[in-house]
This record gives sequence, C-alpha cells and structure tokens, in this order.
Amino acid sequence: MPAWVKGAATDIDAAIGAAADLLGAARMPVIAGLNAEVSAIRAAFDLAGRVGGSLDTDGAAGTYAELGALSRVGAMTSTPAEVVGRADAVLVVGANPWTSELMGRVVGSAPSRGRAAGAERSLLALGAPTNRASFAVPAEGGVLSALAQLRAHVRGHLADDSPFAELSKRLTSSLYAAVLYDPAEIGEMGVETIQGLVVDLNDTTRVFSLAVPGQTVNQDRAVVPVSAWTTGQAPRVGLGRRVPEHDPWRFDAARQVAAGEADAALWLASVPAPRPDWLTKVPSIALVGEASADAAQVVIAVGVPGRDVGGVLWNETRGALTYWPPRSGGSAPADLPTAASVLERLTKSLAARSGTVC
Amino acid sequence: MSTLTLREAPPERLDFLSISPLSLKGLSQGEAERLEVGTSRRGVRLGDCFAVSLDGSDTLTIEGGHERLDHVGASLSDGAIRVVGDVGQRCGAGMAAGTVTVTGNAGPYAGSGATGGTITIEGDAGDFAGGAVYAAKAGLDGATLIVHGNAGDHCGDRMRRGLILVGRAGAHAGSRMIAGTIAALEVGDLPGFGMRRGTLVTGKHGALSPTFVETGSHDLVFMRLLAKQLRSLSEAHADLLAKPLRRYSGDLATLAKGEIWVSA
Repeated sequence: MPAWVKGAATDIDAAIGAAADLLGAARMPVIAGLNAEVSAIRAAFDLAGRVGGSLDTDGAAGTYAELGALSRVGAMTSTPAEVVGRADAVLVVGANPWTSELMGRVVGSAPSRGRAAGAERSLLALGAPTNRASFAVPAEGGVLSALAQLRAHVRGHLADDSPFAELSKRLTSSLYAAVLYDPAEIGEMGVETIQGLVVDLNDTTRVFSLAVPGQTVNQDRAVVPVSAWTTGQAPRVGLGRRVPEHDPWRFDAARQVAAGEADAALWLASVPAPRPDWLTKVPSIALVGEASADAAQVVIAVGVPGRDVGGVLWNETRGALTYWPPRSGGSAPADLPTAASVLERLTKSLAARSGTVC
Repeated sequence: MSTLTLREAPPERLDFLSISPLSLKGLSQGEAERLEVGTSRRGVRLGDCFAVSLDGSDTLTIEGGHERLDHVGASLSDGAIRVVGDVGQRCGAGMAAGTVTVTGNAGPYAGSGATGGTITIEGDAGDFAGGAVYAAKAGLDGATLIVHGNAGDHCGDRMRRGLILVGRAGAHAGSRMIAGTIAALEVGDLPGFGMRRGTLVTGKHGALSPTFVETGSHDLVFMRLLAKQLRSLSEAHADLLAKPLRRYSGDLATLAKGEIWVSA
C-alpha cells in the first residue's frame, strides 16, 4: 500500500495522520482536481465541509465557459449517439474537437435514422485547417470573430459572397446539423455565440450543439451534478462559513495559492491527470492513481477507477455517468484503497480532533 | 465621520457586505468590533484587523485598504464610504444609492449589478468592472462607475443601465451589453462583442469585430447632451465628444442596436 510523507515511504495510517495534521492546522485549505469517481467526489465534498475548505476542479476553465453561457442564454444540446445517428451536417468549431474520440465515429459514417437517414454527411470546419472537412472556413481574426460573422450571416444582418455566406447556406439547408466545440478552447463568449447561432438556425431547420473535450479528458461532467445535488451550486464552492458559497473567482485554486490565501491543498486525481504547477507552492496532500514520492508533502496511492477498483465515472461515449468495474488481471497491487475510503478516514480522523470540529 | 483604521494585513479574505455607515450607526464600539467579517472557519472580527472609531454619522472612512477586502460598499443604500488604499472584488456591487470612493486599486466586478449611486476608483480596476458576476442577469444597472486608471478585460460586460467612465479598458469592453453608456479613452480588442444595445464612446480601439459596420459621422443632439453630462465628471472624456466621431453599428451577430463611437 504505497504512501509517502515528505518523500519517505510509510504506511497508510501514518500518511492519513500526517494529512490530518496538515489540514487540521490550515486556515483555508483547498481541495482541487476532483478528477475521480463519484464516490470520491462525494467524499471530497464531505471533507471540505469538515475542514471549511473550498473546492476546485481540474477542468474548471471549460466547465465555467459552459456553465456561464448556460446560465445566461440556455443551451440546445444533443448527445454523441444522436449526432452520429442523425446529423447530415456537422460543424466543428476550433481545433480541439478534431482530436476527440467522437470525431472518429463521425468521420466515415452517415446518418442512419431520423429525417436525414440515408443522406451523406458533410463535415464543416470553422477556425481550424483540416483536410477532413468538406468545407473549411479559416478564422483569421480568431474563432470569436468568425463565430460572430457566421451568426450575423445566419440572421441576415450581413450578406456578401464570403465563405461565411456559403457556410450559413450549408447549415440552413441541412436537415439535422450538429455544432461541435470544446468550451475550454473557445471560452464563455464563444459558447454563448454558438448557442445563439443554434437558436437562430432552428428557425429554419433542426440544429443542436454538443460540447466535446479535446485530448484532455477530465471528470468535471461528473463533478457538476455531484456538486449540484450536494451544495445546490456549481463546483467552485467554499465552506469556510459553514454554508456553501459559490464564487468562481474567489475559489479558483490557482488564484488562491498565488495570492497566499490557501495554506494547504489536497489534490485528488484517482483518474490520472497532470499535476498543476501551483501544487508545489503550498503544503499539499496528493491522492493520486499514479503516485510518486515527490508528488506532494503527503502522497497516498489510490486505486484507479475502472482499472484497480470499481467506480462511477463520466462516460464520454454515452454522455452519462456509468459504473466501471475493476479490470481483471490488472498489474496494479490489489490492496490499493479507493480514494473515497481514504477521504472518509481522513474526515473521521479530523472529526475526532476537538480542535478542528467545524 | 466614523473611521476604521487597518492595523494589520487581513489573514484571510474579509467580507464587508455588512459594514456600512447605516449598519454601524446604531452600534456601540464593542458591538462593531465584534462584527464577524472573516470568511474561513477560524473567522475574523472587525476589531481583529481594524481600530474602530464611530460617531454615528453617515460617512465611513476606511484608512488603509487591502486587496482582500471584498464587498466594500456592496448593497449600500445611503451615505458615503471612502477607502484610502485598495479593495478586493465586488466593490459597490448591488449598491442602490450613496457614494463609494477608493483611492487605490479595486479587484474584479466593481459596481456589478449596482442600481444607483456613484463609485469612483482612483487607481485601476480589475476584470469585469461594471460587469456581471456568474449567472447574474446584468452588470452595472443604473449606477455611475468612474475608473481613473485602467480597467481589466470585460469592462461593462452585460451592463444594463448607467454610465461607466474609464481611462483604458482591456479586451472585450462592453461585451454583451444590454444597454447603458461606456466612455473610455482607449479600449482593447473586440470591444462591444455581442452587444445588443448601448453606447460605447472611445478614443482608440484594438481589433474591431467584423460584425460592426461603419455608418458614417453624425451630429446628434444626444451626443451634445452626453458631452455636457461627462464634462461635470471628466474633462478628458467630454473632450472625446468634441472631435468628429465615426459611428459603428453592431453587434450584427445579435440585435445590432448597439453603437461604438470612435473619435477620429
């Protein structure tokens, strides 16, 4: 059962004790990453409530680009299976969606059901040079300007013979179009423009949007519902005043560490994810699937969900939370604890100390 | 004049939502010193960081600000707050009347959702000055926000009513504006992105979105009235309107009833 305290190998009880010391002494601990299975995310929220800490996620930039636009203009969304099964036109915005797993299924297949069944699928690209698209429009002034220009053409506010006019024509003449984008790449204003574009296009045909991650996949889509059913808020909440306060600016972990406000951090990544640079700048605990002695001051190796242990994860293919059983015949040691069990022990250990009761 | 004098840097972010001349009026010095302003589980009371001196007047001076003081003047409904130093986020957010003056810099979201009164930042303001916080319907909503220095990105984002005067604003000034007026000596790239209505007057701008179209020069009575109003607040901003102005209409991606005026 690998665990390290200040680089020296130790047993898990000693590591949990050291982690409890660190969190118990902190004024404003942050629990970040949350790249884990649902049970571990739940346990992380319980721990944050116990220590009065705040929470932040690995993919917060993309998550808040999506949530910010959703909270203001709403969204018309589809699922990966619907896009593959029904879309006769797929508009890919930016470069990242081209690297997604979904594009492998979209390219080289045709709609098989719905009003466009049997038609050919046309791939349209905006803002990324690609030879896989049947029609590509470059975004010389950036993706934001290009999206605005496309929407202006769709609304009939601009009319010329630019490629945007042609792209607008192709979208309006489709039977079922899907707009794919990576929220982390285009930002909140980009997402908002896409949602407005989709609403405008629905005056004439059926169009839906779908956010797809690029190569960096995280569990934020699992964190958002867990956070909503636990605190009623989006993920960046702080529990310093015993009630969940949602503030995407104040509870940005990188900002908190840079400003010297956070004095301890717990990095949770049972699903392996690259560690942020700021983690070394503050006394830290790492609960990680791929552990190394130098990852943090206290490191506890936990089972990777879907490999060493079972767990509920966001399933990008199905667009849902699904259970992933442990893989049989895996090479990892069988006695790795789940991240949830470590977090629960940590919470109990802190609850037992009178000085840290929240 | 009541005074709070900063004794030491706050160990955590402080929430000044409940600290206003009105709320301190009926309190004894001891009661005011015991007001909870901390945001962590340890908590901080007003007297821990500030020396408190009250006289029951409707003017409060905070001697020695700090970038960790959040919500200074937020939801203010009467009276005046003057901060000698910096403030944190959401200074004057949601205020309805009164004045807030900051001699130093302000964090993000200054004047967000403020429906009345005047907020003056003598230094620089952070991002989203007069802009909307997460999930809020509108940014500045009727108040007057004056930033003598620079403002960050998204100044006046989703602003709905009122006036913003700023030296130099960063990228996306006036983005997604619903209505209202912004006067800036200079703005960064993509000003007015996604604006529905509203007026942005500037001396100089970065890259303009192709969804703004030039509609020529105009001599409008409204601009003369605006110049007159600005003259009482800032000579430099009023001078912008004294020159011939080019008008751009947009954002054509949305309602397209907004306008950007650029002095030639």
